[in-house]
Amino acid sequence: MPTPTDLAPLMARIALKDRAAFEQLYRLTSAHLLGLASRIVGSPARGEEVLHEAYLKVWQSAGSYQAAVASPMTWLINVVRNKAIDTLRSGASERASRVEADDDEIDRLAGAGDEQDEPQRLLAGHLARLRLDGCMGALPPAQRQALALAYYQGLMHSEIAEQLGAPLGTAKAWVRRGLGKLKDCLAAAGLEAAP
Amino acid sequence: MRLSAQAQELLAREYVLGTLHGAARRRFEALLPGLPGARTAVESWQERLGRLAEEVPAIEPSPALWRGLSQQLFDPPAAAPARRGWRWLMPALGGAFAGALLCAVVLTQRPPAAAGVDSAGGVETLPPAYVGVLSDATGQAVLAASSTRHGRLLSLKLLRPLAAPAGQVARLWAFPADAAPFAVGELPASGKAALALAAPAEQLFAKVSRLGVRFEPAGGLATAPTAGELTISGPCVKVW
Repeated sequence: MPTPTDLAPLMARIALKDRAAFEQLYRLTSAHLLGLASRIVGSPARGEEVLHEAYLKVWQSAGSYQAAVASPMTWLINVVRNKAIDTLRSGASERASRVEADDDEIDRLAGAGDEQDEPQRLLAGHLARLRLDGCMGALPPAQRQALALAYYQGLMHSEIAEQLGAPLGTAKAWVRRGLGKLKDCLAAAGLEAAP
Repeated sequence: MRLSAQAQELLAREYVLGTLHGAARRRFEALLPGLPGARTAVESWQERLGRLAEEVPAIEPSPALWRGLSQQLFDPPAAAPARRGWRWLMPALGGAFAGALLCAVVLTQRPPAAAGVDSAGGVETLPPAYVGVLSDATGQAVLAASSTRHGRLLSLKLLRPLAAPAGQVARLWAFPADAAPFAVGELPASGKAALALAAPAEQLFAKVSRLGVRFEPAGGLATAPTAGELTISGPCVKVW
């Protein structure tokens, strides 16, 4: 994968509409991003459609990229994943029968206090793994599988529940707890400031 | 609406993971500009989960992807940009007409002696022939293919390079109206080539309305390509 050192100067030049820099960025990142997009939308052909839209956005929005906030690759991955998730759930793929009641989620949380149960302390500081896969590996298998299905295949809670043969509420809890543990694990591993 | 810091964190993480969806996803995106804490949480989660992407094997895109992008951004055609699959659905007549015109140019530029076994007449006369022009997803012509009506050679001219990914070859397929698609042969990466046909062109192409190219492993694939798998495609027409 290209390093931020390779990509950061290119992003700055693309913001100034430098075509050569855009092509260079494409050459350095497209294979990696196609691998990611294809996993989510299910085939390289559809992945290429996602990448087409994503790189159009990169060209148009490079000016909004902030080097202080994210590495260029993180920003690109985010653009591609958002496009892939939109593609996956647009039209027929977002069938009414599968849409969950998450529309109420924001309202529900808006009324929730800070006492909301969040599993912050489940993995305390004894996990000293330095890589994310280490932290993923440390999760209970069901939580790890739930996160992997959501991240790599863009599945919704209901689809995760179906795949893993669990009730919807259980699948939601696996995702929520898995993310909480992951955050704690990474903080404990010294990869980021503790929350 | 007031969202607690904890609620913002919970929404941010599911937003980045992708499990926040539908109307909730749109609402959260709309709220983000006014919620600095949520923005920071989203950025932190993008950084954390972005590392998961490092494990995904890379897939080399087809050359058509860059061609389509660069054309749309830097060299937009007068008409609306073509989308993948659009040409496949296009009524055959318009494409066939454009194909015939383009191929006529290709054929008239070639000395008659090289046109095929039954080439007749001088440079002013176009011999009866099967011609095809294959274009990429953006509508750019990539390959001209032609054979005289009873010839056993298919002349190929790449108008743009068509580089197959490492370890793969570009294979030309014909799509008859009344039978299963069949493989014609492999293409060169660039320039011109002549493919020996298994039978006279008349027998092979009389009912063929479309040609297409798919990238395949060197040994070939047993299954016929679907429209979505074709890197380039276009009409095949009779010129006589």
